[in-house]
Amino acid sequence: MTTDHIAVNSKQIEQFLTFELANEVYGVEILKVQEIRGWEAVRVIPNAPSFIKGVLNLRGSVIPIVDLRERFSLEHCDYTQKTVVIVLCVKRHRAETFVMGIVADAVSDVLDIKLSEIKKAPNFGSQLDTRYMRGMHVYKKNMIMLLDVDKLLNPDELDDIETISDSVSDYDELL
Amino acid sequence: MKMNMPVTNNEVVMKAGTILVTRTDLKGVITFANDAFIDISGYSRAELIGSPHNIVRHPDMLSVVYEEMWNTIKKGNPWHGVVKNRTKAGDFYWVSANAMPHLENGVSIGYISVRHAPSRMDIKEAEQLYHNVVTHQAKLHSTGVTAFFKKIKEISLGKKLALASVLLAAPNVFLMSEFLNSADYGWLSIVAAFTVLGGLIVLKVSNETHQLVTLSISELQKLSANKFSAPPNLRRDDQFGDLFRTIYGTSIKVGSDLGHLNQDAADALRIISGLENVQSSVLITNADLDIIFVNQSAKTLFSKVESDVKKLLPNFRADKLLGSNIDVFHKNPEYQRQLLDNLVDSANYNLDLAGHLFQIIVKPVISADGSRIGYIAEWLDRTQENKIEREIEHLVNSIRFGDLSARIHLGDKEGFTKSLSININGLTDMIESVFVDINAIIQKMADGDLTGNILTDYQGIYAQCKDNINEAITKINQFIQQIRESANFVNNASQEIASGNNNLSHRVEQQAASLEETAASMQELASIVKSNAANTQHASQVVQSTAKLAEKGGDVVKSAIAAMQEINESSSRIAEIIGVIDDIAFQTNLLALNASVEAARAGEQGRGFSVVATEVRNLAQRSAIAAAQSNELIQTSVQKVRSGTAFVNETGAALIEIVDSIIKVGEIVSHITNSSNEQSAGISQVNQAVTQMDDITQQNAALAEEAAANSMAMSEQSAKMTQFISVFKVSDKSSLWVARPDDSAPLKTVVKPKRAALVQSYPTHNSDDWEEF
Repeated sequence: MTTDHIAVNSKQIEQFLTFELANEVYGVEILKVQEIRGWEAVRVIPNAPSFIKGVLNLRGSVIPIVDLRERFSLEHCDYTQKTVVIVLCVKRHRAETFVMGIVADAVSDVLDIKLSEIKKAPNFGSQLDTRYMRGMHVYKKNMIMLLDVDKLLNPDELDDIETISDSVSDYDELL
Repeated sequence: MKMNMPVTNNEVVMKAGTILVTRTDLKGVITFANDAFIDISGYSRAELIGSPHNIVRHPDMLSVVYEEMWNTIKKGNPWHGVVKNRTKAGDFYWVSANAMPHLENGVSIGYISVRHAPSRMDIKEAEQLYHNVVTHQAKLHSTGVTAFFKKIKEISLGKKLALASVLLAAPNVFLMSEFLNSADYGWLSIVAAFTVLGGLIVLKVSNETHQLVTLSISELQKLSANKFSAPPNLRRDDQFGDLFRTIYGTSIKVGSDLGHLNQDAADALRIISGLENVQSSVLITNADLDIIFVNQSAKTLFSKVESDVKKLLPNFRADKLLGSNIDVFHKNPEYQRQLLDNLVDSANYNLDLAGHLFQIIVKPVISADGSRIGYIAEWLDRTQENKIEREIEHLVNSIRFGDLSARIHLGDKEGFTKSLSININGLTDMIESVFVDINAIIQKMADGDLTGNILTDYQGIYAQCKDNINEAITKINQFIQQIRESANFVNNASQEIASGNNNLSHRVEQQAASLEETAASMQELASIVKSNAANTQHASQVVQSTAKLAEKGGDVVKSAIAAMQEINESSSRIAEIIGVIDDIAFQTNLLALNASVEAARAGEQGRGFSVVATEVRNLAQRSAIAAAQSNELIQTSVQKVRSGTAFVNETGAALIEIVDSIIKVGEIVSHITNSSNEQSAGISQVNQAVTQMDDITQQNAALAEEAAANSMAMSEQSAKMTQFISVFKVSDKSSLWVARPDDSAPLKTVVKPKRAALVQSYPTHNSDDWEEF
C-alpha cells in the first residue's frame, strides 16, 4: 500500500490487528500479519542481539523471533499462556520481503480503522527514532499506537536478522 | 735497907735459856719488866712497874754487893754478879745478873739489868763468897799488896810500854855514858843508833798498839751504843786483825739480832697500834690474867659502862684496868680461871655486867714453845644490839598478831641500828598504810559504799594489791550498776509481763469462746463437704456422658473433613476443565484472528468470512470471559472449601481437646470427690483438735492467770532487789576508771592522823612490852 492509495481512498478503511504490550495497545496492519501463534519455545541463537529471542521452525522455514518489549526498552516480563507470537511479513528495500515473529503479551482484536482517523505520530526531533511509528488511533478512550512493520527494525538490524531467516520467495512457495 | 719478908727455903729454879730483863730509871724504879721476870717474881706487872727494883731483893743478899754494883754502873761500867732474889711468895731464885747503864746518845738515862740462869757451880761459889764475906774471911775487893799489884797490873798499856821503854833504855844510856866517857865514839854511835832505833820501834809499836786498842774500844762502845760502822782494817794479819774481825763479826751478829728485834718490835708495834685503833674492844692478859693491854675502844667502852658496873663491883675503875687482873669483872673469879685454863681454842662468853650485855671472844695466846702466855679477849657491847633485837622481835611479834601500831623507838639509837630502826619503822609504816588503806576501803565496801579507791602510791606487790582492789571495786561497781540496771529492767519487765499475762488470760478466755464457735462451724463445714462429695459424684457422671458426646462430635468432624476434601478435589477437577475451556477459547480466538487475517487478505471476497470470524472471535472471547468467571468462582469455591476444611480441622482438634479436657475434668471431679471425703475425715479430726485446743486453752487460761500472779510476785521481788542494790553507793562511771588526783588529798588526811596517833601511843606501849621481856 502507498500514500497515493490512501489519498485516493481517503474514506477507505484499513484493518489493524491490535495487541497488548506492557498494558498498552499497539496495532499493526492486518495485511502484514501472516499468522498468529501461541508462544512456544524457540531455538536460542548464541551471540545474537538481546531483543532477538531466537528462531522458530514455522512449518519448515526458520523465522527470527523479536521481543518488542526489549526492542522498545520496556520492562521485561515472563511469557504466559496468553503470550503470542505474531508472524509478520516485512518488506525490505529492493522490494524483498522476509518473515519474522514479534512477541506480544496478548492479541486484542481486529479493528477496522478509517485512515482519516489515524493521527500522525508526534515529532520528537531527530535524536529520537520514531520511524517505526505509523500513527496514533484513539479507540474507546484508549490510544493505540499503530506501528509501521517495515520500519520496525533499522537496516543494520534487518541485515543481522536477515542472515538467520529464509527469503520471502521461500515463504511464497510455502504459501 | 729494904728487908722483904718473909722468906722461905723454897728455891725457884730458872729455866735454862730464860732471860729476865728489867729496866729502871736512874733512881732504880722499875720502868719495864719482861714476862719472864714478872712470871718468876710472882708480882703482877702493875705491882712491879713503878716500884723500886729492890722489891725483889732477898734478905740474904749483902748490901755491899749492891753498893759495888751501883758504884760500878754509876761509873758507866757494866757489872756482873750471881744474885739471890726473892719472889713475892718469899721463895728464892738465883740469877746470873748483868747490869749496865742504859745509854742514849752517850748519856745514861737509866739502867738495864739482864739475868741468865746461873750454873750450880756459880751459885756455890757465890754462896761461898758471900758466906766468907759475912764471916770476914774474904772481901769483895782486894786490898793492900793485892790491890797494888792489881793496880800495876791494870795500868794503861801506854804507861806500861813507856815504863818498859825506860827500863830497856836505861842500860843503854848507861853504856853510852861509858862509851862517851871512854871516848869510844864508834861504839857510842853504834849503841846510840841502836837505842834510838829500838826506842823508835818501841814507840811506834806502843803508839800503834795504843791506837788500835783505843780504836777497838771506840768500836765496842759504838757497838754498845748500837752504832755500827765498818772497822778500819779487817785484813790485818796480826792479832789485831783477829780482834777487829771478831769485833766486826760480833757487831754483825748483834746488828742482825737488833734488826730482828727491831723488826719484831715494829711488827709488835704495828699490831699493838692496829689493835689500839680497831673498833673492837680488845683486852690482852698475861698468863696470870693480868691485863697488859687495853685498846682505845675498850677504854671508851669500859669508861661508858663504869658508873653502871660500879653499882655491882665497887672496885671497878675503867682507867685502872691496865695492869689489873680480869678478876675485877667477875664475882666468882675462880670459876673463870678454871674455864680459861681449860680453854684451848677461842670461845664465846656472854657476860651480863650490871645490865650491860657483853659478848666476849677469848682466845689463849700460845707461845712458840707451846706454853700459854696469855689471853686475848674481844669485848662486844651487845646491849644495844640486844635491845634492838628485842625491839625488833617485839615489833615482828606485834605485826604477826596484827598489831601494826608498834614502832622501834629511835631516841636511843645511833648509826646502823638507827638506820635499821628507821627502815623497819618505814617498813611497818608501809605495811600499816597498806592495811589501813585496804581496811578502810573494805570497810566502806562492807557499808555498801563503793565510791572509794586506794589512792596512796605503792610499789611492787602493794601496788598490784592496790590496783587489784581498785579494779575489783571498779568491777563490783560495774556489776552493781549493771545489776541495778538489770533489776530495774527486770522490775519493769516483770510488771509488763504481769499486765501482759493479764491480757493473755483475757485473750485465752476469748480464744476459748472462739474455739467453741469454731467447733460449731467445723460441724457445719463437715456436712457441707459431704454434700460436696455427693455433688462431685454427680458431676463426674455428667462429665463422662459429655465426654462420650464430644467423641461423637469428633467422629462427625472427621467425616466432614473427608467430605470437604472430596469437594476440594472436585473443585480442582472443575478448575482444570475450565482451564481446558479457556484454552480452547484462546485457541479459538487465535483461529478466529487468523481467519480474520485470511479474510482481510481475501479482501472483498473475504468480507463475509471476516464477519463470521469476528463472530467466532466474539464467541471465543465470551467463552474465555465465562471460563475466566467460572474459574474465578471455582477458585473462590476451592478457597472457601479450604478454609472450611481448616475450620473443620480446628473443630476436630478442639473437640479432641474438649474430650481430653472433659476426661481431665472427670479426673478432677473424682479427685474432688476423694478430696471431699478426705476433707470430711480431716474436718472431723480438726473438730477433735479444736476440742483438744479448747481444753488446752482452758488450761492455758489457768496458766496465764498463774503466770500473771507469778509475774506480780516477780515484780515485787525485783522491786526488793532494786531496793537492796540501792544500798550500794556507786560512783558514777567516769570516776571509776580514773583516780582523780584531788581525791587523794582528803583520803590521805583521813589515814594519816590515825597513824600519827598510833605512833604517839607507841612509847608507853613499848615499855610495857619490855617489861614482859
